[in-house]
Amino acid sequence: MTGSRFELRSVSKTYDGRTVLSQVSFTVTAGEHTVILGPSGCGKSTLLRLLAGLDAPSAGQVLLDGNIVSEPDRILRSPHLRGVAMVFQDLALWPNLSVMNNVLLGLSGTGLTRQEAKARAQEALTLCAVASLAQRKPGTISGGQQQRVALARAIAVQPSYLLLDEPFSGLDLVTKTRLLEQIATLAVERALTVLLVTHDPLEATTLCRSALVLDNGRIVEAGVLTDLLRAPQSEILRIFRAYRSGVRAGM
Amino acid sequence: MESDLANRFGMISCLALERPGKWRALSVTILLLVAALPAAPLLWRTLMSMDSLTASGGAAVGSAFVSALRNSVVVALLVAVVSLAVGLPTGVLTALYEFQGRRVLLALAALPLLVPSFLWAIGWSSLAARCGPVAAHLLSGFAGCILVFSASAVALVLLVSAAATAALSGSQVDAARLAGGERTVLVQASRHVATPALLAAGLGGVLTLSDPGPGQIFALRTAAAEILTSFAARYDFSLAGQQCAVLTGLVLLIAVPLACFAAPRLASEMMARQSQAMRRVRHRGIAGATVAVLTLLVLTGTVTPIAGLTLPLIVTPAGVAWQRLKSLLQTFADTLLYAVGAGVTAAALSLLLALCVGRHDRLRRVCLGMCLALFCLPPALTALGFVHLATEAPAWADFLLRSRLTVCVALGLRFLPVAAVLGLHAWGSTSASWTLAAALHGVSVWTYLWRVVFPLLLPAEVVAMLLVALLATADVSTVLLLHPPGARSLPLAIFTVMANAPESLVATSCLVYVAVASGLLIALWTMAARGKA
Repeated sequence: MTGSRFELRSVSKTYDGRTVLSQVSFTVTAGEHTVILGPSGCGKSTLLRLLAGLDAPSAGQVLLDGNIVSEPDRILRSPHLRGVAMVFQDLALWPNLSVMNNVLLGLSGTGLTRQEAKARAQEALTLCAVASLAQRKPGTISGGQQQRVALARAIAVQPSYLLLDEPFSGLDLVTKTRLLEQIATLAVERALTVLLVTHDPLEATTLCRSALVLDNGRIVEAGVLTDLLRAPQSEILRIFRAYRSGVRAGM
Repeated sequence: MESDLANRFGMISCLALERPGKWRALSVTILLLVAALPAAPLLWRTLMSMDSLTASGGAAVGSAFVSALRNSVVVALLVAVVSLAVGLPTGVLTALYEFQGRRVLLALAALPLLVPSFLWAIGWSSLAARCGPVAAHLLSGFAGCILVFSASAVALVLLVSAAATAALSGSQVDAARLAGGERTVLVQASRHVATPALLAAGLGGVLTLSDPGPGQIFALRTAAAEILTSFAARYDFSLAGQQCAVLTGLVLLIAVPLACFAAPRLASEMMARQSQAMRRVRHRGIAGATVAVLTLLVLTGTVTPIAGLTLPLIVTPAGVAWQRLKSLLQTFADTLLYAVGAGVTAAALSLLLALCVGRHDRLRRVCLGMCLALFCLPPALTALGFVHLATEAPAWADFLLRSRLTVCVALGLRFLPVAAVLGLHAWGSTSASWTLAAALHGVSVWTYLWRVVFPLLLPAEVVAMLLVALLATADVSTVLLLHPPGARSLPLAIFTVMANAPESLVATSCLVYVAVASGLLIALWTMAARGKA
């Protein structure tokens, strides 16, 4: 699915009469790493859910390779057929299954044989440096190791799109930096398109080249992150710039 | 065709488990109707004859019943007041402070909830008889009933208050402690638990309205005992039905506002929250006072009546007692069957209910409100409903309406609300993102349910099953009205022989029952503690 393209056309989403996203249109270019920024409740996670097919838009369309995959209140293509993997904010590891079984169950929609699935899971766990924890339950390993397991489960399905919904919150700086570097390497190696939702300038600048700023359910800024930071329009980017200047001054 | 169907069902996405839909409201309505349905024909018939009932100014149900109803209401009110006054502060103290023997004392204090109240009444009455006529006189009538009913109602309020206090986050308690020390912690915690404790006290009071046991032993005419007498002694089904409908009307009058008030609060407590758990602290003075109060409760509610049950055995040779007991123990198989049958029925229905309610907030509130109201209904209502259905139904339906299966189903439906609360709580503590992750990875809904959801809900369902099994065993009214000939449960056997059988036999049977209930309580406690860990 390399080279595929996601597109949102005038997408709106309302929950119980409250508009979370309003007339959002943008295209996700293949291989691009984009950070989605914005204040809490501005619709960042909803945007990821709409792309993944976990939610249907209230208005507008979601297209994949020019084909409509979601339309108002209808999901036309199931999430697992979109080439998308996601690391959730709470990681969503199934707590009663071992690390290996978490990855194996995640592969159950791929149609692989048991043997192939095992080999694929082993490879993903090795890549994320958690192969030694294969028989452990998620509750018995550290937060950083859990993040790696969630990442292994996501990349095991060999997706084109990796959606990261604030998965690093709660990690210490050292673990977070190592994990970010690892994801950046993986994303390049596997030509993954990455969409990251975060509030953290470190995560945004380490992993992403372009940015999309949302406010009140609307896109207020979009483009290459370094360009946007030169003349920021939104408050969040102004704070980002101040942070970066502060870090540089400190160094 | 079959494979087509299988494909179609296999294709259902896990997202269906998280999405709202009309099917949810429909399924929940059907499930709750199933619980209320057996009583419907009886209520309908009584409502149809309501004109004659109102025209006679209540004389149709008997003046004795009206006076008994008055007695029942007085007992219910006093029990609610006592249980609130004692249960709330003890529950708060138990949850906030650490002390030696905490688990044992709490388990012993909770025991009256799981043993039929008439067993404790027998213990008290036996003890009073040995202490002389003054003690027997003091304990007869209202005093005895309030004492015995209060033991279980206090246990209910205590457990609810302790659970509500434990739901406070560690930082909330720390903030109160910083603001004004232990006094502020106690005041704030008591304020926090006041509503659930008040509701539990109300529930405890309402439940006494439907319990015939202590009234019969302490010679106080109560409404529940009158219904049993009308049906089992006078063989007047119509009168029993009318009396039951009147009692139901009274219970609903109290229970419905209670349920409407309690459901939203209970529903919000069902969902998982991420907060630092509160830690119990050691405080010498307060811990000492808590131990003293709990010990007093255990002595009054559990130890003294058990002593009363043990006394007759001291004067009876063991061989004789055993011979007599053997005849009662023949009811063991049926007791077990009813308990397991009720537990399985309630647990299975509660699992379905939890699946249908899902994370739908309004539906959860409605469901909990309905469950609370259903739980308050007199057990005799459903049982008499089954009897009514059986008399109208053709002979081939006997295996459904006049068999051991009927007793299992009736008891399961009676205690479905208890299992439903546990089931909904267990479902609420699962994460929605587990389901979303499964949907994203194309895991079929059946695989997801089988491999992830059911194993995670299993401990809660097993606890629900055991709890319902215990409560169902303690329910005498349902079994008395529905059991097929020769298929009594142990509590029913004790209940029916207690007036005529030798005291030692009754006492031994009661003690056997208390011992079994204690064993199951310990098992439940251990499972719950393991689940928490």
